[in-house]
Amino acid sequence: MSILDRMTSHWASTRHLTDDVLAEIWTSAVADGRTASHPHLSACSECRYRYADFTRFLDEIKDDAYAEVDQVMSAERLAAQQTQILRRLEALERPARVIAFPKATRPAISPSRAGQRWVATAAAAGLLIGVAAGQFVDFRRAFAPAHRSAGSFVADSAPVRPGNVTPVSIIGPIDEAFIYGDTELSARSVRDSSLRALDDFTPRARDFDR
Amino acid sequence: MTGAQAAASPAREADSATASAVKAFQADGRHAEARERYAELVARHQRRAGRIAFHYLRDSAEVDEAVQDAFVRAYSHLSTFREELPFEVWFTRILINGCLDRIKARTRRERWLVAMPESPHANTDFAERVAGSGPSPEDQLLSRERRQRLATALAKLPERQRSVFMLSHYEGCTSREVSALTGLNESTVRVHLFRAIRRLRTLLAPEAARESSGSAAGEKRRVNP
Repeated sequence: MSILDRMTSHWASTRHLTDDVLAEIWTSAVADGRTASHPHLSACSECRYRYADFTRFLDEIKDDAYAEVDQVMSAERLAAQQTQILRRLEALERPARVIAFPKATRPAISPSRAGQRWVATAAAAGLLIGVAAGQFVDFRRAFAPAHRSAGSFVADSAPVRPGNVTPVSIIGPIDEAFIYGDTELSARSVRDSSLRALDDFTPRARDFDR
Repeated sequence: MTGAQAAASPAREADSATASAVKAFQADGRHAEARERYAELVARHQRRAGRIAFHYLRDSAEVDEAVQDAFVRAYSHLSTFREELPFEVWFTRILINGCLDRIKARTRRERWLVAMPESPHANTDFAERVAGSGPSPEDQLLSRERRQRLATALAKLPERQRSVFMLSHYEGCTSREVSALTGLNESTVRVHLFRAIRRLRTLLAPEAARESSGSAAGEKRRVNP
């Protein structure tokens, strides 16, 4: 080794490591899964101290992170979680239970539907038969009061004697003429003397005919 | 190789053996035995899974669901598991994918919802809130503040840097494993890790320095009144 090389290596070993170099040493150690090693670290106590400080800082971060998780994930919680996992695994192996879609339940209610259909058909047939029968049979006559049993009216009316009944016309000839517009007939039959004068003034239909 | 990783190797072998046994039981239709063996894997990886999910989701209820989903999904797809990769790596990949899906869904949902103001106890159950024989309220407050700062700093990291940092530092994964988990190149993993710690140092170190100087001044005051 030349004198220059010796001087360079001596200068390199005496120069303190920067934070980045310390980080690099730590990264290599962690990434490779081995303990940190650097020629300068074994030679310089100050850098060794700084490296120890650096690793302590990172270890504190790790400890804090672990403590935080331990606080959240208690032993009871982990036990409950494990039970839950095993329950889910057990459920995973059980054949899936198929919940029938509403459409699939139709056969279960079809008998009653068939019954309903029969009822509807019978009602329609009954209606048709009723209408057809109504065309041929006069039910009013069939159920007229004459055909009713006599006993059913006994309580309603007193016995009527045919000899005492006199047919009376409620509408007289005057009113009939008035109703049917026969004014001439009506005029002739005016009996009230107070109205006769007025009647005389009134022109008649026959006057116009002439 | 660090001590932790040396210890992890037999555990990984045991995991692979258990996973293979579960696979064989599943193939034979012996589901009860498969479940029983799988419960061992669940017990071994549950806490770690919760930790990873928590750092992604930061919501205990969602973490619960994400971890459950990941275990159920891993069990039902165990036939696709190959022994070349450790079970831990394979499972973690399922978990991370699930967490990322949840984050996406949450972002979509939050676009339509107005956030409620968050209370300091929002993330804890009532039972956890009642007084107990734990650390003093002052300690609790300080540690909560420190965690809050850490969470804020981590949240400021880009997604990939955060994932790489968490997997490497918290879970002790090598760059090769992180590469398998995230699908990133090994050298990219190293770069992300380096940038993540440099940024974290920038974000957290000033406050740490202030705290340490503050405590030193306090001690000085106590020593020399």
